[in-house]
Amino acid sequence: MRSRTVQGTVAIAATASLALAACGGAGGPQSGGSSKLTDDKLVIGLLNDQSGVYKDLSGPNSKVAIEMAIEDYKAKYGDKAVAKDIEVVTADHQNKADIANSKAQEMYDRQKADIILDVPNSAAALAVATQAKNKKKLYINIGAGTTALTGASCNKYTFHWAYNTSVLARGTAGTITKAGGKKWNIVYPDYAFGQDMNKSFTKEITTAGGTVGQSIASPFPSDNFATFITKAGEGDPDVIGSMHAGGDLINFVKQFNQSSLKGKVQLAVGLMFITDIHSLGVDQFAGTQFTDAWYWNFDAQNKKWADRFKEKTNTRPSFAHAANYSAAMNYLEAVQEAGTDDADTIVGKLEGKKINDVFLRNGEIRKADHAVIHDVYLAKVKSSAPEEWDYEDIEKTIPASEAYGEANPACSMS
Amino acid sequence: MSEQMTAKVDVDLAQPSILSRRNPLRYVMLLAGLAVLVMLPYWIYPPVAMDILCWGLFAISVDLLLGFTGLLSFGHAAFWGGSAYCTGLIATHWGVPFPVAVIGGAVFAMLIAWPIGYLSVRRTGIYFAMVTLAFAQMLYFIANQARDLTGGENGLQGIPRNFFGIEAVETDPFYFYYVGAAMILVGILVAWRVVNSPFGRVLTAVRDNPARARALGYDVERYKITVFIISAGLAGLAGGVFAVSHQFASLQELMWTTSGKVVLITVLGGIGTLWGGLVGAGVVVTLEDYLASSGFEGIGLITGTIFVVIVLLFRHGIWGTARNVLRRYVLERRGRQRD
Repeated sequence: MRSRTVQGTVAIAATASLALAACGGAGGPQSGGSSKLTDDKLVIGLLNDQSGVYKDLSGPNSKVAIEMAIEDYKAKYGDKAVAKDIEVVTADHQNKADIANSKAQEMYDRQKADIILDVPNSAAALAVATQAKNKKKLYINIGAGTTALTGASCNKYTFHWAYNTSVLARGTAGTITKAGGKKWNIVYPDYAFGQDMNKSFTKEITTAGGTVGQSIASPFPSDNFATFITKAGEGDPDVIGSMHAGGDLINFVKQFNQSSLKGKVQLAVGLMFITDIHSLGVDQFAGTQFTDAWYWNFDAQNKKWADRFKEKTNTRPSFAHAANYSAAMNYLEAVQEAGTDDADTIVGKLEGKKINDVFLRNGEIRKADHAVIHDVYLAKVKSSAPEEWDYEDIEKTIPASEAYGEANPACSMS
Repeated sequence: MSEQMTAKVDVDLAQPSILSRRNPLRYVMLLAGLAVLVMLPYWIYPPVAMDILCWGLFAISVDLLLGFTGLLSFGHAAFWGGSAYCTGLIATHWGVPFPVAVIGGAVFAMLIAWPIGYLSVRRTGIYFAMVTLAFAQMLYFIANQARDLTGGENGLQGIPRNFFGIEAVETDPFYFYYVGAAMILVGILVAWRVVNSPFGRVLTAVRDNPARARALGYDVERYKITVFIISAGLAGLAGGVFAVSHQFASLQELMWTTSGKVVLITVLGGIGTLWGGLVGAGVVVTLEDYLASSGFEGIGLITGTIFVVIVLLFRHGIWGTARNVLRRYVLERRGRQRD
């Protein structure tokens, strides 16, 4: 009896709710205004990790970088600027894909964001790509490294600005092998990222004429790499490649330094950021080679921008900060050129565009897979830092076409 | 551990409910609850509202074990996440309407719960928690390795949301909410039926005094396994709807932090209150959502502080404390009337 009453109530409530929903239409699509810009303003959404492991890599300071782009845009166009009112909204996805997903929807729907930037963490990055596709709004990823963004999960509204894992492999493995480091042993963490890195490194090493003696899988996550480092030292290799990232990388390098291999064998790292060097100290990483997408003290142009950045934040920019600036700037330029914030028109303006700016050298927004290709750099960690954050010697510039190769065949835009 | 944890709640349950079947207040409250359910996406951003309901049912499924059977499961992410992946795979590969996929996911959760339950209910307290945690971690690593199926740390992306060709539900989170909410409601009703049935009474007996329950002729282990499987099914239902709502399943769903979060929500709402889970989820999810755009960097600090305050000051959780206040008020009034 009791349960029947409840069921009845539920049925009535459900019917009522459906009727309400049909009439209210609170979530229904809204028509655009007559202005060239929807809501008479541009809204740039910054969605990244502002409290966790990627906080220093991009985090809150990326907002500063985007605001620098807005400043420059306004200074450049003055009264002729199409977008006079530009707002930056931010959210912290805490490295959780579900929060990134909800926040991206909220930014597009509620906060009227015209574009979302950054989004490190590959699961979060791919989830936002799906939302960009659904909502037909722009999305430029910077912080994530997964090649799926320009591969199986690519879409018309998603661009990948700074780097990806295959660029790292081509840069580090290809360049070092060609320079004489022929015999490699690789240690990789046993999960998707590590397996991918191992595969692409092995491919690049063999293409460049080197050999991989052993590929050693280590459990993930782990804090004891002693046995794997000993094993990697067998067979007298020229180079040991560590495919670890984040905390695992720091543990690996620490233990490598304590082993007898330090000084005898070159250490190359798959994925490393300047913030990793900063947190562990430059002496711990000294001599390690890796691929960097951008370095603040590379030339006068970078240095000038980095000085401006330091005035505002009291720290030096990572590649992600520069990339956020570059992405925001080029988006604003495209809006200026198109005279509207309509996503499809902007995509048309961006596709195929050749760019040279503070971040992109010989850059091109590749039409086929929306990878933004540009020159990257093989870096070697200095043995001591002349000033804080001055940690890298750029050994070689790797040309865009070499670093990025052909467009990803897994991508189909339609 | 479980004895200590349940000792303080069974006092409440031993007393007959103040809101008996004839009390009109009972129906007023039920209606109010339903009204909140219906109005939620008008007040809160619909995808977030959907998250609240999913986490709410998830917490209810944990409460079924923790509050009513005295078993603290620290591995419920296995069922939530397992179902999320299974739902996603069914929806992606077979293209069926999503409620079918979600039911498939829930059934999968129940299937994996059977062997896990069989092996873990023989232990209680901290040992039960550790065994369930171990199984959940196992599933996490399987999902991480089986990347062809699950996409590894990229997650299972782009889960389709087919619903009999009704485009509003398929694309608009506002309309999707009502279909999702209906499915969650079914789960809540199942939990409510289980608790308010002879079966539920036996569970309470098992919780309070397993030796005596056994002496009375009840097969204690079998009751525990059964409720474990039901609980897993409800967690699976919630996880499935969650995956369809977000259109992806990621490793986050299987992580031990997810098991921890749902226990936190249950304790916050009130152990052994059933409805408390929904209130706890409302608080935690809205807070998380609010803090994400607040620009404040210490999100964990705030949720942690709230948790400590609730546990120290309101030991029966939000719902339990509110219920006790109401009970005291009603009893006092009755006492005064009798004078």
